Amino acid sequence: MTGKKTATQSQKLMVFVLTMSLYGLATLFTELIPKFQVGIVEFSVEYFLFIPLTLAMLFDPMSAALGAATGELVFSEIMLGQFGGLGELEKFITVTIGVYIAGRMVKNPKNAKMVGIAAMTGVILQLLMGTVVDILKVQFAVTDFEAVPGLPESVFATEGFAFLNDVLFSGILFCLLPTLFLVPKLYGKIEPLLGMWPRTEETALGGVNGKVIAGSLIGFAVAVGAEMMAESGLSLIDWEASWAESGTALAAGMAAAAALAVITLLVIRKRGSVEA
Amino acid sequence: MEGLKQKLSENILDKFSMDFLRNQVLKNAYGNDDTVIARLDPRILLVWYLFFAVVPWFSDNLVFLAASFLLVAVTTILARVAGLVLFLFGIGVFAQTGYLFLVSLFFGGNAQTILPLLVLTLKVATVSLASITVFSGLDPDRLSNGLMWYGCPERLSFSISYAYRMLPMLMEEFQNVLLSYRLRGCAPDASTFMGKIRNLIYQVKVIIHSFYPLMLNTAKRSRTTVEALELKGYRYAAVNKEVKRMKLASLRVTNDDLLFLAVSVFWIALAVLVNTLL
Repeated sequence: MTGKKTATQSQKLMVFVLTMSLYGLATLFTELIPKFQVGIVEFSVEYFLFIPLTLAMLFDPMSAALGAATGELVFSEIMLGQFGGLGELEKFITVTIGVYIAGRMVKNPKNAKMVGIAAMTGVILQLLMGTVVDILKVQFAVTDFEAVPGLPESVFATEGFAFLNDVLFSGILFCLLPTLFLVPKLYGKIEPLLGMWPRTEETALGGVNGKVIAGSLIGFAVAVGAEMMAESGLSLIDWEASWAESGTALAAGMAAAAALAVITLLVIRKRGSVEA
Repeated sequence: MEGLKQKLSENILDKFSMDFLRNQVLKNAYGNDDTVIARLDPRILLVWYLFFAVVPWFSDNLVFLAASFLLVAVTTILARVAGLVLFLFGIGVFAQTGYLFLVSLFFGGNAQTILPLLVLTLKVATVSLASITVFSGLDPDRLSNGLMWYGCPERLSFSISYAYRMLPMLMEEFQNVLLSYRLRGCAPDASTFMGKIRNLIYQVKVIIHSFYPLMLNTAKRSRTTVEALELKGYRYAAVNKEVKRMKLASLRVTNDDLLFLAVSVFWIALAVLVNTLL
């Protein structure tokens, strides 16, 4: 084997499948294991983020990042029926960005210091973006957000506290330490299983540059944009609702039409079953 | 009293064994393909879901929200969703809003805080129940076909089908690795408080360590999977229109699907009507 040091398409697919199954399995467990709280401090095994982080540092970061986000979406959201629609887009994007940047930062997986810095950066990025979007989400969902006594402060307090708690607890315990343990151990062992060369200074994709940052910012803008869309959609539906409320006759008409459709379909169905 | 407490905690621990989790997940995925919901056309169900996943967020009307909630509650019952999923749903709703309520009381909120939070709870509950109905009520293959029809990336449909098939195997493998680590290791004495903390740290450590062999094994397996896919020309088939058409030919909108839609529309229209009359 000569020359080819970058991953081929099928190897990228392998990395995708690998990250997806492992991270999906892990998030499935975290979804199932109840969180326990001591006072206000929440001890949750929220993040098995060390799995995609480790794999992104050893393999192609983009495939690992997308695999992780898809795995979480499919295993823990869709399979358990916890799919939250718009909110999942935000999680998908933030996980992808966090893991991808962490993976790009590491040029030489043997350099423990860089691995540690990259792991923490990935976690903090992901959590920070999640916190910002979370605060926005509550602000849009509750229309008279400012008017409710104690609500704004409590949202900022709970979100800010959850962020710190997650960084300190999940970040260090479940991301930093396992990554530091797993990356050197797997380095050079897991790559041949996928038919690849281990990552070295020369084969690394190169550090985080302007293009990566710009791409991440655009991604984050899309995540926030999904929430902004909610705001502009708000007025649209409001307009529709007021239009519907003014016309009792219209609502009655709609109900009558739907009722007619139900009856017709029932009749057709009954006939069909008689014939069959 | 002490005995009762012990029995209770044993009972709960029993319930949360690995096998129980696996059974519940499998039951959720494959156990209910004979329900009313599972037989519906995935495309119709996805449109239906889109309505109940988006519209409740924008409405503050209690009558409309309550009606939507009732409807999705009925469909959830019809879908015969596994108990564990419903339990998680309950926890999720509480975690999103109940917790917020407690904290806002702490910051000087009062009974006035309840109403907006009730609205928020109804919204969250409606959206999650709609997703539970669609995503756990549908057979995974039908779901991924439906998503594909709407032009979702082939990668996502593949991931869904793959995940449902591989999950039992992955879970079993993880359990075996975990058990072998436990057999070989020596758990710290958990009778004192410090011992309990040491035990917790030990358990977490075992879980993290067991990902090392698991990663290597899964790497081998994913290589096999991808090579098998390549042999069958997966990457070309995935983007080929003809293949897609053949794959989706089994989808058919029947009378029942239209009936389901019509009943839903009727119910919501009725809610709007009642609201205007009030």
